[in-house]
Amino acid sequence: MTGEAVAFYALSAMLVVSALAVVLSKNLFHAVLWLALALTGTAGIFLLLDAEFLAAVQLLLYAGGVVTIVVFAIVVTERLVGETITQTNRRIAGGALVCGALLWLLITTVLERPLATERPIMPDDLTKAIGESVLTRFVLPFELLAVLMLAALLGAIYFARPEE
Amino acid sequence: MTLTMLIAPFVVLNVVIGMVTYVTLLERKFAARMQSRIGPYRVGPHGLLQPIADALKLMMKEDIVPTAADRSIYNLAPIVFLLPCMLIFATIPFAPGLGVADLNIGILFFLAVSAMEIVGLFMAGWGSNNKYALLSAMRAVNQIISYDLPFIFSALVPVLLAGSLRLSDIAAAQGGGYWFIFYPVIGQLAFLFFIISTLAAENRVPFDILEAESELVAGFRVEYSGMKFALIQLGEYAHVIGSSYLGALLFLGAWGGPGPEWLGPIWFTLKAVVLFLLVTWVRWSFVRIRVDQILALSWKVLMPATLLLLVATGMVVVWRIAP
Repeated sequence: MTGEAVAFYALSAMLVVSALAVVLSKNLFHAVLWLALALTGTAGIFLLLDAEFLAAVQLLLYAGGVVTIVVFAIVVTERLVGETITQTNRRIAGGALVCGALLWLLITTVLERPLATERPIMPDDLTKAIGESVLTRFVLPFELLAVLMLAALLGAIYFARPEE
Repeated sequence: MTLTMLIAPFVVLNVVIGMVTYVTLLERKFAARMQSRIGPYRVGPHGLLQPIADALKLMMKEDIVPTAADRSIYNLAPIVFLLPCMLIFATIPFAPGLGVADLNIGILFFLAVSAMEIVGLFMAGWGSNNKYALLSAMRAVNQIISYDLPFIFSALVPVLLAGSLRLSDIAAAQGGGYWFIFYPVIGQLAFLFFIISTLAAENRVPFDILEAESELVAGFRVEYSGMKFALIQLGEYAHVIGSSYLGALLFLGAWGGPGPEWLGPIWFTLKAVVLFLLVTWVRWSFVRIRVDQILALSWKVLMPATLLLLVATGMVVVWRIAP
């Protein structure tokens, strides 16, 4: 096995374990930390696929940002100290069924097509290529996303303003 | 190839740890001089062995774990906190071609990894199961959400001016003394905003509400003792030093300076130390500001100001390329 394959399997094992721990751990705070690990592992997979830009963005936005916000949500919604916050998993069987079906669907779809064994040729500076395509070919979706975020921001301000 | 890959991180890590221990002495001496004191003087000549004595003391201290603490989180927190603080040194080129990894997304990596620090910090605050620690961690989350964006925006100004995310390119773009801090108006404003948001990101005075000795004892690290305390402290100072290096690279021309080329890393380190002393100067001159003042400064002043500055920089760059 090449070093890349070893890294891939190690990262995948970490991802699967931490993702399972997110939904199965009883303590909500532990679940958030497992989520952070899972998101960091995803960044590692991106890094293995030569997508450095995506990996950094994954860390910056998800692992850093989302965890911060989730932590905020826990602390704001639940009582502060001394309480063990438990999360209930009453539908483990149903969830497992749905996940299994999804996994089967994914595996069959992937196996139907021949897997690329050769590395595709990529531009030297991938980050530059991403930047250029976002501002030329995909400029409309990009701008629409900006509008969507602006709307979300305005909505948040609307809800956060003090009652008259 | 693989051997240098192993040796370079080892060397950088050890140099950083050595620097961090001595930077604490520098800060104490500097603060003492500001207050007409002498500072550490007893251990070694002029107190030069004080950091070693401190480290030995911390190693020999008893390791106390609170009974009600969330044991696994409490024990992991210092490591999770230290890891990103050390990883940020991976991308910093200390001279042309002298660094662990010169990534093409260098600055993005730096920003992303230093944003991860909050996870370890919150683990420490939550795992200690202490009201002071948790309040401090809450404040930290608050502050980091508010100051991440001004920090990123002000760091993006040199990126725009240099036209690259690679840190060595940004440094090379300032060759010949054209440091970005000398760039008319934009450079000075960006540097000012960068310093302010770095102070906040490092949780230093006047933004140290999460440490706040007078109300929160020592904040999120109040329950830590011995080596775990040392690890957290090490991480904090490493973050400060790393940010100083980043600031010196982004605005002060990195390794550029008079003299032969091999002096480059020394110039770079000197500039970083000057930035560190600037931060220390602020620390010992200002008082802590309130939570609401900190948030208002970020959202009402720094956010719009850095955004406008970014737009202005973009205009300047476009006009410079196509006059």
